[in-house]
Amino acid sequence: MTRNVSICAMAQIKNQPAIWQHRFQGMLIDCFESIMEQTNVTFDMDKGIRNVVTCSDDVFDARTISDAAVTDVVGAHFRGEEKVAQDGISALGYAMACILSGHDDLILVMGHCKESQSESRNMCTNLAFDPFYSRPLGLDYLNAAALQARAYMEETGLTDEHLANIVVRSRKNGARTRHARDNEQLSVREVMESPLLADPIRKMHNYPVTDWAVGFLLCCDERAHEFTDNPVRLTGFGSCMDSYFLGDRELVSNFALKKACARAYAMAGITDPAKELDLVELSDACAYQLPLWAEGTGITGKARGPAWMEAGGMDKHHVNLSGGMLNGNPLMLGGLARAAYGFTQLQGKAGTNQVTGLRKALAHGTTGAAGQHHAVLILEK
Amino acid sequence: MSFREKNRHVGIVGIGETRFSSHREDVNQPEMIREAVKDALDDAGLTMDDIDCVVHGNMELFEMVHQPDLWHTLGTGARGKDAFRLTTGGTTGGTLVGAADNLVASGMYDTVLAIGFEKLQEGHTTGGITNMADPLWARKLQSGALTDSAAVKAIAEFGADRAKRVAMLYRIIMDKHACLNPNSHRAFGLDWDQMEDLMENSPPLIGDLRLIHMCSQSDGACAMILSCEKKAKQQCDHPVWIRDHITVHREETLNLCVNHYPNETTHRFAARHLYERNGITAPLDYFDVFEMYDPSAWWGADWIRDFFLLEGDEHYRLIEEKEIMGGGKMPINPSGGVLAANPIGATAMVRVAEAAKQVRGNAGPHQIPGTVNHAIASSFGGTMWTILMMLEKELNW
Amino acid sequence: MEEEMNVKVSDSLDTMADQELIVLRKTISVDQKFATGPVMGKFLTALKDKRILAIQCPECGRLQSPPREMCAICRVRNREWVEIGPRGEMRMMEYCYYSSPDPLTGESRETPYGAIGILLDGCQKEEVFWHLLRPEHLEMVEMGIVMGDRITRGSRLRPVWAEERSGSIDDIKYFEIDEQAR
Repeated sequence: MTRNVSICAMAQIKNQPAIWQHRFQGMLIDCFESIMEQTNVTFDMDKGIRNVVTCSDDVFDARTISDAAVTDVVGAHFRGEEKVAQDGISALGYAMACILSGHDDLILVMGHCKESQSESRNMCTNLAFDPFYSRPLGLDYLNAAALQARAYMEETGLTDEHLANIVVRSRKNGARTRHARDNEQLSVREVMESPLLADPIRKMHNYPVTDWAVGFLLCCDERAHEFTDNPVRLTGFGSCMDSYFLGDRELVSNFALKKACARAYAMAGITDPAKELDLVELSDACAYQLPLWAEGTGITGKARGPAWMEAGGMDKHHVNLSGGMLNGNPLMLGGLARAAYGFTQLQGKAGTNQVTGLRKALAHGTTGAAGQHHAVLILEK
Repeated sequence: MSFREKNRHVGIVGIGETRFSSHREDVNQPEMIREAVKDALDDAGLTMDDIDCVVHGNMELFEMVHQPDLWHTLGTGARGKDAFRLTTGGTTGGTLVGAADNLVASGMYDTVLAIGFEKLQEGHTTGGITNMADPLWARKLQSGALTDSAAVKAIAEFGADRAKRVAMLYRIIMDKHACLNPNSHRAFGLDWDQMEDLMENSPPLIGDLRLIHMCSQSDGACAMILSCEKKAKQQCDHPVWIRDHITVHREETLNLCVNHYPNETTHRFAARHLYERNGITAPLDYFDVFEMYDPSAWWGADWIRDFFLLEGDEHYRLIEEKEIMGGGKMPINPSGGVLAANPIGATAMVRVAEAAKQVRGNAGPHQIPGTVNHAIASSFGGTMWTILMMLEKELNW
Repeated sequence: MEEEMNVKVSDSLDTMADQELIVLRKTISVDQKFATGPVMGKFLTALKDKRILAIQCPECGRLQSPPREMCAICRVRNREWVEIGPRGEMRMMEYCYYSSPDPLTGESRETPYGAIGILLDGCQKEEVFWHLLRPEHLEMVEMGIVMGDRITRGSRLRPVWAEERSGSIDDIKYFEIDEQAR
């Protein structure tokens, strides 16, 4: 590979339960303006942005070609635009490929999701299942996650109390993160007493309904200085798809996440993730996923999740210092929220949660029921 | 630091298409996709073990499946592979090939399988397209992709008689092409003496846009395998090289006005930039075949002008003199084009696939005479979005 | 293990020729609440008072109605508002014979109908407003065409307002031929 890619700028709005006062176009325009202001980048056909990669979803937007609705507010009028319709970490991975290919020097990545718009998130994700068998069974991402959670608790001895600790910590970290959703602080007891949504997942174990938008400017390394004096390099990306039917999968094997990580680590030259990664941001839509995905990244061993937690692994490896997805990011954008936080940390702008001496961070996103598809991105200072 | 060389060359090594039909009750979505994937793998002489990454796309609200690549893993073979999902409306198929090209050229993947599909029978196509409109306003006004605007403009410029004749002539030429393509969904066997009858009696949809002018609603899938130069040369005797591609979108709002060519169209803008940066000064001479995403005969006839940077009635004369048929000055859509088959998420990829087959010289009964060294394919979608993709027989540019 | 996971599909579909094929029919709907935001919201609110607003680009001066948050051409936020119309000139009509469903209600539209582009007073060039034509006037209207210097004027139209207005596209029933202009 002859080039490298950097993130030169990132802009986001605050994660909120329901941005009822704006259309999603209005959410994106704030991010767009901020990136223009931060970088003075142009859309010149020669030296400016020729292509925009967006991330959104037709079902969540209730619009065919959801990207058609945002062409103007992402600057793509008479320019290229390609929509990645899966977790946004893939949009960053794809944007990276566009630059590495030589086709583009600059890519603007813009993502939006307004979970509050539809009556029910679960009704949307129920539509991800085949209409003949799994959909009429009532499967959605929540109860598929419950099956995985139960299997993981069986295998590792992860308890309701472990889960409560993850939630309490997420809320604490979220409160220290700018742009994170404002949530109530909770005690372990409050979490453990919250009602069951899909056994063993309690209400407080599940990420809350959230609206959010974000943008990134990616650039080839040799031109990054035109737009920032504090770039963050993207050095590795990998993704992997698992089987569709839950019964065809080893639900707690991390088959797809391990492969995704192996590819990203190979690209970034990482051989010992537990030692080399200074910050790990996991898309934990449900609390149990934090230790499960942590195993998948290799920062702890197979079935070691609960023991790793008890030994202070979450803080030692700086996992989800942002509060994680659990604190509230919309579906589709979990990975972009992770990358946005990784970028903020590597730029040294994470405030009271700033990690010192940070060099390499991992941002993770997942799409589908119980982690059918995983993707990870390696960011470096 | 303007437009630069690709990091590495990318070749098309495998092409698969299902047959296209108004009804494929005999297969479900993953099964239908599997047909195209198997066809592409067989064409390339590869197995899924050779594939590093799978790229999938279609439009969710046509079949009402959220992120269908998840379920479709049963047919795509993506398990264990890197996987992306990209969708951009009608242009999706072109986006997928462009994405596969970028992914391979980046060095991140050596061999990428791109899959476009749609099973329009499983939903309401015009309703599904109308869903693209803003729910607060245009959704009440739009009727899918049906519009009279191209006819109104053509009639204003060339007069009703000539414009209607050219549109119908274009339609019959496309049907003659479709009749040679065994994959066609619609191949009626139309003949020149039916012009008057069709112009009068084909059921009107909107204004002068009649049923016969409009593309079909089809079920079908297309799969293409792209590899880096080194692998492509190992895997295939004659890879078809992707030289360059350009995507041009425009804002959401459609203009319902009859200002004649008020601005440069996306088509002309895309063509101008693509040709300029590749040093092509006379596109009509340079290219040997064009596979165009022609959603209606009115649009198809009109767009030739922009895609080849023509002026006045040059595009009309090409049609009137039947220069767009095999053996003509610029054969357009030897496959029959979108009027012959339109599984929307696959349609734009079929254009690239058919153009690549013409370059290989093994398109089948609809192979055009002579050598095809340079081919171009277009995608159409959204609110007049366009993608142009240039294919080459030799790595010599 | 991985090999076995691959789906096996019969190469010949004819083997199933005798099989009864079941088709599952479903209507899928998920209720939505669409925010209007301050821009579209201001426009919709004005319709209640029988006023049509356009938003103006601070750089190119282009008017957009319904309004957009941003001017796509100049890539800047629109801020200024201008009242336009409500009368105007017919510019383009989609004379619809095909009965397509309204995706918001699922109901088929009555045909024929005319979806029209109206150049409302105060607007120019492409700044047309998209609405419906009074069905009885379908055969009576003239389109306006601009081809370089050749300009053909279209019929003058005026809106017919709904009695009850709630801030939606339905606040205008349709546009009709403006008799006063004759």
